[in-house]
Amino acid sequence: MAQLFSPGADAIYRLTLLTALACLAGVPMVAAGIVRSDYVTGVGVAPPQPAPFSHKHHSGELGVDCRYCHTTVETQATAGLPPTHTCMTCHSQIWTGSDMLKPVRDSYARNEPLQWVRLNRLPQYVYYNHSVHVTKGIGCSTCHGDVTTMQMTYRANAFEMQFCLDCHRNPEKYVRTPDQVWNMNWTPPPDQATLGPKLVAQNHIRGGERLVECSVCHR
Amino acid sequence: MAGAALDSAQDPGLIGATQTGIPLRHPANRRWWIAFAGALSLLGVFGAAIVWLLINGVGIWGNNNAVVWALDIASYDWWIGIASGSLLVSAVLLLLGAEWRGAINRIAETCALLCTLAAGLYPILHLGRPWFFYWNLPYPNTLGLWPQFRSPLVWDAIDIVSFLVVSVSFWYIGLLPDLGALRDRAYEAALATEAEYGRVRKLALLKAQLYGILAAGWRGSASHWQLWVQAYRTVGLLGVLLVVSLQTGASVMLAGSVLPGWHDTILPVTFLVNAVFSGVGVTAALVVMIRAVYGLDALITERHLAILARLLLCLGLASLYGYATELFSSFLHGDSFARATLVRRMTGAHAWAFWTIVACMLVPVQAFWFASARRSGPAIAAIGLLVAIGAYADHFMVLVVTLQQDFLPSSRLAYSISIWGVATFAGSIGLFLTLLLLVLRYLPVVSITETRRLARDHGPAAGAGAGAAEPGDPLAAADVDPRDAPLWGISAEFASEAELAAAAKALHRFQSEHVHLDAHGPVPIPQTLRALRIRDRTIRPFAILGALLGGGAFLAMCIYATAFDYTFLIGGRPRFSWPSFVVPSVSFAMMSGTLAIHLALLVLNRLPRLNHPAFNIPGFSRSTVDRYFLSAEAQGDAFDAERIAETLADLPPQAGRPIAIRRIAR
Repeated sequence: MAQLFSPGADAIYRLTLLTALACLAGVPMVAAGIVRSDYVTGVGVAPPQPAPFSHKHHSGELGVDCRYCHTTVETQATAGLPPTHTCMTCHSQIWTGSDMLKPVRDSYARNEPLQWVRLNRLPQYVYYNHSVHVTKGIGCSTCHGDVTTMQMTYRANAFEMQFCLDCHRNPEKYVRTPDQVWNMNWTPPPDQATLGPKLVAQNHIRGGERLVECSVCHR
Repeated sequence: MAGAALDSAQDPGLIGATQTGIPLRHPANRRWWIAFAGALSLLGVFGAAIVWLLINGVGIWGNNNAVVWALDIASYDWWIGIASGSLLVSAVLLLLGAEWRGAINRIAETCALLCTLAAGLYPILHLGRPWFFYWNLPYPNTLGLWPQFRSPLVWDAIDIVSFLVVSVSFWYIGLLPDLGALRDRAYEAALATEAEYGRVRKLALLKAQLYGILAAGWRGSASHWQLWVQAYRTVGLLGVLLVVSLQTGASVMLAGSVLPGWHDTILPVTFLVNAVFSGVGVTAALVVMIRAVYGLDALITERHLAILARLLLCLGLASLYGYATELFSSFLHGDSFARATLVRRMTGAHAWAFWTIVACMLVPVQAFWFASARRSGPAIAAIGLLVAIGAYADHFMVLVVTLQQDFLPSSRLAYSISIWGVATFAGSIGLFLTLLLLVLRYLPVVSITETRRLARDHGPAAGAGAGAAEPGDPLAAADVDPRDAPLWGISAEFASEAELAAAAKALHRFQSEHVHLDAHGPVPIPQTLRALRIRDRTIRPFAILGALLGGGAFLAMCIYATAFDYTFLIGGRPRFSWPSFVVPSVSFAMMSGTLAIHLALLVLNRLPRLNHPAFNIPGFSRSTVDRYFLSAEAQGDAFDAERIAETLADLPPQAGRPIAIRRIAR
């Protein structure tokens, strides 16, 4: 009886089997990598905005307080996006002829809001409240990064559930004293290990057992 | 008695021809196409039902807030029950060494595999958002969560994946030698086309190569057979354990809730018995139908039908005992909720389900007290199908009657079967039938290997050599192999295993680092193993190690996740709630044991090997029909071909002298 297969068929067959096995392990790994990549999450990507607003200039160099524009951050669920009026408090006086600011002046003249491109978006099934985080000692930069260094603003963290749970499981690692909440380049002080639990107790943050319950965020 | 399990006129060569003839020449082609068209249209219904489901959600099935599990889970339980039953019956017969099992094992194993495929789709479809099915699996996710290992939802996912792996593996290992035979017959048929058409037809060759790829280079060598026998039995054993874990686990799953009607301690046994009962019922019906369509009366004899009928009767009595005990103990000392559930089963809105069980599952099978019913094919097919219908009613009753009566007046919602629920179920039957018809069309429906083993041990030629070829001077038969081609070895051809074993014994003194002896045959060749001194080789440690490591790792993962990494208060259960981890860990252990066996079978046999010098032996394709070959492979310069050939030629006739001795080129 002659051979049904040529000698090379074995190599092809075994290679195919190994490739299939490698794909079985490899394809999910590649998919997992893509899902976590900045390309998908948008971390570090600054989209073009209607006016090239710089957080670095206003907040970092000039020292404008976060709450000057995001007025409801301490009292409401949303931090609030400033109306054109807020821009014009200064820009009706300075840089009034600047080309860069033309969209702002147009918006003001037409009485139409600027259409900013939104960066941080949570799914609609997530309940999130800015005021409770800020008043209990979670600083802006913990989620939004150091915006005082951002020329054009970008998303600093992928708001995946893992990111939220990291803090909800161990709030004592991130909680700050009230004066530090607005510090955009805060790093944990050397005594965070003792200070953290004290602040958690003081602010009635019920860590572990309460903060990881499903209904805290998914109401 | 054993002779009755095989028509006595069968000779081993013809047996294979009957089975390989079906896929290669395909008789009853017209009837097959009609059946296939019917099955395909049902499959189309399945496709439509799934599309409609994806558009509208699970509400189309009529499921509501109280009856969250209805036809979807009942169908799943039914399919996996039949799969468990068919797998269990085939594996238990294998483990008990029932030599006549060849007539039904392939059909039972195919049934198990295809039912598992149909079953596996249901829990995924039932999720509502099926495309997120993988959320049920423990994979490194961006949610920072583990699956909840205390939840039966996870058990189901692990159970189904494990069951699928084990049933595919059991089916494929059993099929492997038959695929080898099919490859050789298809190749012969392809070569025969040369006479008719002037050249070998490409399509016929491609068919042979497809079977060859599936056979993964099976040569029927002594060591192949040795490990095959072990692998088949070991996977069978793992399958039996998995079935017990899965069916009792399903009952424990229900008992984990607070709902009445799901807590009787006999339920795990009832679930198992009813699963096996329905599996045997469907297998028996398929066996009778396939026997009638392909005229396999010689291979599937009346004795097989009688055994199936007796088995059905036993299981029917066991099932009756389960129902009776549940009723008796609940009415005697059950609480009022359990009693009320039982009363609702018999008199409530879905009382038809209970009476269907009585009418289809418990009563008709009593006909098998009569010998005439046990011998009648139509009776067995009808009663087998009735049992399957009764089993469906049982799953429906157990789920829906309990769920419908919630404890809040607000959630006491009536449930009625919706047309889409029925369409989905009918469609899944279409999936089963389509795949079954494809298997019947392209693979041997009755195991060639097992029926040949039976014929060898009990057939007319048992003991003596087939004696067709009286060996004269074997060296004279040497073909015109070019003596100057590089030598692979010496091969000798025999008509029976006894002669092969005698020759192997005689050659054993040549075995050294320069000479590798091997034998090839159409059935396992245990006597030759002894002569070749490889009898003690075993792959069972791989199975044990694979199962222990896999099961242990899964259990450790459950414990780590639940007690340390993802502590979550759920139903007041403790952090270390080990009883809920047992079911998925056992299932996972069976799967990893099976995978280990499979890997060992391939690696230790140096398979897949599509091109092998042994295939150069002239007439080697008869090693998958009725001939046995001994080969002495040259592995060094000290290989003395002449002496080996002379030793073989000098053996006495009928006690080791080969029909032919050949020098085989590399």
